[in-house]
Amino acid sequence: MSKTWMVVALGFTLLVVGHGIGLFAAPPEAMMGDVGRILYAHVPTAWVALLTFLGAFICAIGVLWTGKLAWDAAMEAAVEVGVLLNAMLLIQGAVWAKPTWGVYWTWDPRLTSALVMCLSFAAVLVLRSLVHQVKRRMTLSAVATILFFVNVPVVYMSVKWWNSMHQEMSSPETVDATMVLPLRIAAFGMLFLAIGLCMARGRLALARLRREDGAPDLPERPQALDLDSGAPHA
Amino acid sequence: MLDGSIEGGWGYVITVYGFTWFCLVAYTASLVTRLRKDPDA
Repeated sequence: MSKTWMVVALGFTLLVVGHGIGLFAAPPEAMMGDVGRILYAHVPTAWVALLTFLGAFICAIGVLWTGKLAWDAAMEAAVEVGVLLNAMLLIQGAVWAKPTWGVYWTWDPRLTSALVMCLSFAAVLVLRSLVHQVKRRMTLSAVATILFFVNVPVVYMSVKWWNSMHQEMSSPETVDATMVLPLRIAAFGMLFLAIGLCMARGRLALARLRREDGAPDLPERPQALDLDSGAPHA
Repeated sequence: MLDGSIEGGWGYVITVYGFTWFCLVAYTASLVTRLRKDPDA
């Protein structure tokens, strides 16, 4: 088994243990009851989504600094995994909001900034699919990633800065000791899983980028037909 | 005020965990398939 899949397997194992303890051994949450068990899926997803975008930001700086394909591949992987986790986060939160807030969605600062984060990084992936020249795509998507990363600390701080329905970030000081262990295990599980998925996705991206880099650049726009030149048609 | 008596609580919990695991397993499986198909990766 390669190093990548060992990290993925470790992530899945820790996630099974963390979720198992959270679902079947941890006590129900004092006010929400069993619905509070969503914590062990939702909070690790949130933490790791933010960390993955931090990884994408570091890779984007690496792209602009060195111009190396490996940084670009790592950035592509981190953005894609981050968007997946961010989309999961929004849907998990919506399902949790229904029984606790009475609605699936509200334009709360935390929810809105997290939605903007998801859409903006998804736009980086769209941008990458639209630009065919390797160097140009590297620069544009790295600049876009750095620009959109500005919103990530805003997402993190939104519950402190504004009057939000969303609770503040959970920590060992705010969570009961019986809930800290499954939360920590699930968080490390999600972290290792995200690292492993980024490694696997990065290998795919790097192989494709190396093929593209060796091939002649495609034109960005189709060449206009020159009908007035009088050249004979084939 | 929530008092731990939300009806159908486990339904929401199972939905979230089911969805989470479905996404993670499906994405991992898609990467495994794509890596197998790409001899350069």
